[in-house]
Amino acid sequence: MSNRTLTLLMGFVAFLILIVGIVFVIAVVGGGGGSSSTAASTSPKTSSSGVTGDICQGNTLVTFGEDPASVLDPIQVRDVGTAEYVIEIFGGLVTLDLNLKVQPDIAASWKVSPDGKAYTFTLRDNVVFQNNRKVTAQDVKYSLERAADPANNSPTVTLYLGNIVGVLDRYNGKAKDVSGVKVIDDKTVEIDLLQPSDYFLAELTQPVAFVVDHEQIDKDPRNWTQHPNGTGPFKLSQFTPADKVVLTRNDRYHLGAAKLDSVVFELGGGSLLTRYQNNELHIGAVPPIDLEAVKAGTSSLSADYKPQPLMDTSYIAFNTRQAPFDDPLVREAFAMSIDRDRINTVLLYGTQRVATSILPPEMPGHNDQVAGYGYDPAKAKQLLAQSKYAGKMPHITLTYAGAGGDAPEILQAIQSGWQDALGITVDLQASEYSAYLRDLRKGTYQMFDAGWAADYPDPEDFLDKLFASDSQQNEQGYNNPAVDALLKQARTETDRTKRFSLYSQAEQKILDDAAIIPTFWPIDHTLVKSCVQNWPSVAMPVPKYRYISIDASKEK
Amino acid sequence: MGAGLFGYTVRRLLWCIPVLLTVSVIVFWIVRLAPGDPVDTLLGQRYDPAVADRLRHKYGYDQPIYQQYFTYMNNLFHGDLGVSTRHQDFTVKQVVLPKMWVSTQIGFYAMIITFMLGIPVGVYAALARGTFLDPLIIGSWLMLDAIPIFVLIPVAQWFFALKLGIVGLGYDGVYSSHMILPILLLGLPGVAGVARLMRASVITVVGEDYVRTARAKGLKDETVIITHVARNALLPMVSIIGLSLPGLVGGELFLEELFGIPGIGQESLQAVLAPDFDVVLFLVLFSSTLFVLANVLFDLLYGVIDPRIRLGEARG
Amino acid sequence: MNAATVAEYYPGGELAPPQRWVFLRRLFGKKIATVALMYLLIFYGAGIVGPFVAPHDPNKQELTVQARLQGPSQDHLFGTDALGRDLFSRVLSSARTTIIFTAIVILTGEFLVGLGLGLLAGYRGGRTDTAIMRTGEVLAGIPTLILMLAIAASFRQRINDVSFWLQDHTWLGQDAKLWVKFTIVIGVTVPFSWVGTSRIIRGQVLSIRESTYVLAAEAMGASTWRILWYHLLPGILPIFIVGLSSSMAGIAGAEVALSYLGLGIDPPAASFGTLIGGAGGVRTFQDHPHLLIASALPVVLFFFAWNLLGDALVDVFEPRTNRR
Repeated sequence: MSNRTLTLLMGFVAFLILIVGIVFVIAVVGGGGGSSSTAASTSPKTSSSGVTGDICQGNTLVTFGEDPASVLDPIQVRDVGTAEYVIEIFGGLVTLDLNLKVQPDIAASWKVSPDGKAYTFTLRDNVVFQNNRKVTAQDVKYSLERAADPANNSPTVTLYLGNIVGVLDRYNGKAKDVSGVKVIDDKTVEIDLLQPSDYFLAELTQPVAFVVDHEQIDKDPRNWTQHPNGTGPFKLSQFTPADKVVLTRNDRYHLGAAKLDSVVFELGGGSLLTRYQNNELHIGAVPPIDLEAVKAGTSSLSADYKPQPLMDTSYIAFNTRQAPFDDPLVREAFAMSIDRDRINTVLLYGTQRVATSILPPEMPGHNDQVAGYGYDPAKAKQLLAQSKYAGKMPHITLTYAGAGGDAPEILQAIQSGWQDALGITVDLQASEYSAYLRDLRKGTYQMFDAGWAADYPDPEDFLDKLFASDSQQNEQGYNNPAVDALLKQARTETDRTKRFSLYSQAEQKILDDAAIIPTFWPIDHTLVKSCVQNWPSVAMPVPKYRYISIDASKEK
Repeated sequence: MGAGLFGYTVRRLLWCIPVLLTVSVIVFWIVRLAPGDPVDTLLGQRYDPAVADRLRHKYGYDQPIYQQYFTYMNNLFHGDLGVSTRHQDFTVKQVVLPKMWVSTQIGFYAMIITFMLGIPVGVYAALARGTFLDPLIIGSWLMLDAIPIFVLIPVAQWFFALKLGIVGLGYDGVYSSHMILPILLLGLPGVAGVARLMRASVITVVGEDYVRTARAKGLKDETVIITHVARNALLPMVSIIGLSLPGLVGGELFLEELFGIPGIGQESLQAVLAPDFDVVLFLVLFSSTLFVLANVLFDLLYGVIDPRIRLGEARG
Repeated sequence: MNAATVAEYYPGGELAPPQRWVFLRRLFGKKIATVALMYLLIFYGAGIVGPFVAPHDPNKQELTVQARLQGPSQDHLFGTDALGRDLFSRVLSSARTTIIFTAIVILTGEFLVGLGLGLLAGYRGGRTDTAIMRTGEVLAGIPTLILMLAIAASFRQRINDVSFWLQDHTWLGQDAKLWVKFTIVIGVTVPFSWVGTSRIIRGQVLSIRESTYVLAAEAMGASTWRILWYHLLPGILPIFIVGLSSSMAGIAGAEVALSYLGLGIDPPAASFGTLIGGAGGVRTFQDHPHLLIASALPVVLFFFAWNLLGDALVDVFEPRTNRR
C-alpha cells in the first residue's frame, strides 16, 4: 500500500471515530433517559430526578433494594432481598402486621378444632387478584398443592409447611395430592396438621403459602413471574435485573389501597449515601464513622436518622464433634475471652448491640434473664488449664464465608482477644460461600462465623432449627438430650406462656454449654427523608409500603 | 507452506476451533473443581438434602462431568446458552447480553477518549523530549492513572455531584447525562499508558535509518513526521488496540459498582463467586473468541500496513 | 567490518563493555529518573528490611478509643488504624507483599518467558510461531481468578495441613501460611502473564527481522541466538522497557484492587489494598486523612516511580535523536 493511500485510510478512520463521538454527544444532550426493560407491560416514567427534579414532589418512593436472587415466585423465595418484593405483590391466608402479629389477609377469620389439628379458614368476599378475578378456596388449594409438588422443587415447602398432612408425602412422590388441604366450599378451606402447633399460623405467613393465579400459570408457565398476578397491595410493573424493581399501587387491594403511586427500588447500588445526599433517594444508610455525630444530633443527617433493630443474631459456632471443641471447658474458655462491649464501642462505633443471649430482643419469647457467658479472661484461663487439651492444644481454624484477603475487622479483633487472654493463635480462614456451605454440612470446620435471620417471629425458628439434634441446620453437631426433650415438648405445647418458658430453659442450657458464642444483634441505621410519612419500624420484612405516603410540605 | 495472505487467513481461522475447544474443556472442568456448587448457594443455610438432590438433578449436576460437557456443547450449538442459577428467572442470554451491551458501549466511548487523547499526547511528549515539557505532560496524566479508581470515583462523585451540583448520579440508561462522569473517569486515566507507549514508539522510529534518510533527503520535518514517523509509530498501537478491544466486553467492576451501572463487570465477579456455571462459561468463551479473532485480525493488519512483514514464514 | 560501522548499529553507539558506564551516566543525568530510582530503592529496601526494623508488630491491636485512629505521633509515625495497629509497621509489611509479588511475577512471567517466547515466535515464524501463539491464546482464555479460587477451595484442607507442618517444622514459623499462599498465587499467575508481552514483542520482531542489518547478519551465518540478542533485542527494547515498567506499576495496582475486594492474599500479611479499603470513603478521609494518605501514597509513588523510570530508560537507549 502506498504512503498516500495509507495516510488517507488513517485519516478516514479518525474521521469515523469523530463522527461516532459526535453522535454520542448528540444522543446524550438530546435524549436523557430511557432504559430498556426485559419485563413486559408498561414502565411508568419514574422520576429519578437527581439535581434537576425533586423527589418530594409527586407520589413515588425511591429506595434501594437487593437484586432478587430467585424468581418472583413465592414458593421459590428463600432470601430476604426477594422476599421484600414478593410480600408486597402476593398475599396468603394470613400476614404479619407492623407489630409482627399474625393478622387475617385473604382469610377473614378462622376456627381451630379442640385438638388443635384442624384449622378452618373463611375467606373474605372482596379479595381479588390484580386482574380482578375473585379469589376462591380452590385457588388456595391449588397454591398449596403447587408448593408441595416435587416438580417445582420448592426449597422451603418442607421447612415451613411440613406439618400439614400430606405435604411431605406429596413432596416425596408418595401421594398425588395434599390430603390435608380440603376445599369445603368456595369460601372455606380446612387445613389439617400432623400435630398441634402454636406457631403454625406464623409459618403460614411465609411466602411459600401465598396464593397464586392458576389461570396465569397454566397459560404462561415459563414467564409468568415477569408480570405476576398476585393479591398483594402492589403490582410489579418493571423488573430490570441489576437496575430497578418498580411496584405500582393495586387499587383493588382488599385491606385498603396504598397511598403511594409507586415504589422504585434501585438495585444497582452505587454510592447510596452520596445519592441520598444528592436528593436522588428517599432512604439511605448512615456510615458507621458518622454514627456518633448523627446520634448526638450534630450532623446534618441527624434529623433523618431512624435506627432499626433487626431480628438477627450473629454468632461464632463450635463444631462440638471435633477437637478441641468437644470439650465444653474449652468452649467456655473461648466464650469468656471476647470483650464484645469493647469491640462494639471502639471498632463498630456502637452500631450494633451486644448479644447477651440467642434470641434477639424483638423476638417474642426473648427473656432478659437468660444470659450467656460474659467477659472474664481470668476465669477463661483457669477453665482452659483444667481442660483435657491444656498444653496440647491442636491448631485451631476459624472459617468464615469470604473470598480471601483480609478477614473482617470484627473477626480480627476477636482473634486478638483470644491471643491475649488465652495465648492461643486462631487461624482465620476464608472460604467461598458455596464451598463454605458444603464443608459446613460435612462437619469439617472447628469453628465458624455465622448469622441467622428470623423467618417468622417465633423462638422455634431459632432454637429448634439450630440446636435440635435432628435438625438439618444444626451444623454444630450439638446434641444435648435435655435440650432435645424441651424442644420436642415445645413443638406441641399450645399454651404460649408455657411454650416460651420451655424455650427459655432450652436457651439457657444451650448458652451454658457454650454451643455457640452469640456476638451481636445488628441495627440498621436508616436515614429517611423528612417528606416521607409513616415510615414503619419493623425488625423483619413484612408488607409495609402501603402505609407510607409523601408529603412535600414536610420537606425541610 | 501456504502461499499468500489468503492461505494464512484461512489457516489462522481454522486454528481458532481447536483453541476454543481446549479453552472450553479446561474452564468447564475448573469451575466444577471447587467443592461447592450452585445448589449449595441456592439453598444457603436452609438446606434440605431431598430438595438439593432434586435441584441437582434438574440442572444435571449429578451426571458425570464429560456427559455434562457434551450436553452443554450440544446446547451451545443449538443456541441454548444455559440458565443462570443466580437469576433463576432468566436464561444466560437474557441476563448477560444486555449487561454486556451496556458495558461494551461505555467501554467503547471511554476507549475513544483514551486513544484520541493518548496518541497526540504521546507524540507531543516524544517530540518535546529533552525539555521539561516531556516529563511534565506525562507526569500529569500519570497522576490521574496512579490514583486507584475506587478512590478516584467517590472523590469525583462527591465533588461534582454534591459540591458543585452539576451532575446527577444514578443509572438512567447509557445515553444520559449521568453517564458523562463515568465515561470520563473510565477513559481519562488510561491516557497515561497510551501516551507513554506512543512516545516510546515515536522515539524508536525517529531514531531509525529511514527517518534519517528522509531528513537527509531534505524533506521538511512535518512531512517526515506525518508520512513516516506517524505511520510506523502507530504499528504497536494497532497491537495495543487489538488487545484492548476484547476487554471491552469485560466491563469495569469498580465503575459499575460505584455508579450503579448494570454492566458485565459486576456480574462476572458475582458469577464466579456464586458459582454460576453457565454464565461463567459463556463469558469465558465469548471473550476468548473475541481475543482469538482480534489476534487474527490485527496480525493481518500488521502484515498489510508494514510491507516488510511476511507473515507465516519460517526462519532461522 | 570495522568498529565504527558496527557501532552504528548498536544503540548507545558503543560496544558492549563501556556501554554500561555510559548508560548509567546518562541515567543519572536525568534528574527525575534519579529521584524515581532513589524512591524505588527506598521502597524495596523498606520492604526487605521492614519486618525486622518495624517499631511495632503490624498485627498488634490496641482496641481502645484513645489508641485507635490516632494521627501521626512520635510513637506511631503514620498513626494507627481502626484496630489500634501501628500504620507505619503495616505499611512496611505491605511493601514487602508488593515487592515480592511484583518481582516474582515480572521476573519469571513477563521478563523471561514473555520476552523470550515473543522473540522466538517472531523471528522463527512458522511452526514455532503457531505453537507459541496458539498456546498463548488458550492460556489467555482461562481466567486466572477462577483458577485461583478453584484451587484455593479444592485444596484448602491440604493447604492448611502443609502450612501447619511448615509452621511447626521449619524456620518459617508464623509466616508459613503466607509463603504457601504466595507460592500458589504466583504459581497460578505466572504461566498466564507472558501472553500479552509476547504478542507485542512478536509484532515488533516481525517488522525488524526484515531489516537490512538482520538480513546481513543472517547472510554472514550468525546463529539464531546471536541475532536475537544483538540485533533484535535492542530494537524492541524501548517498547519492552515501557511495557515492563508499566507492568510493575500495573501489577501493584491489580494487587491493590484484588485485596481491596477481599480476593487477594490472606492475612497475616498486610497489603496496600486492605489498608486503603479501611481508609477509603470520603467521610473517613475527612475525619482521618492520615489513613488514606499513609496507605495510598507509598503505592501511588511506586506507580509513578516505575513509569517515569521506564520513560527515562527509553531515552537512555535511544539517545540519538537530534533535538529540534
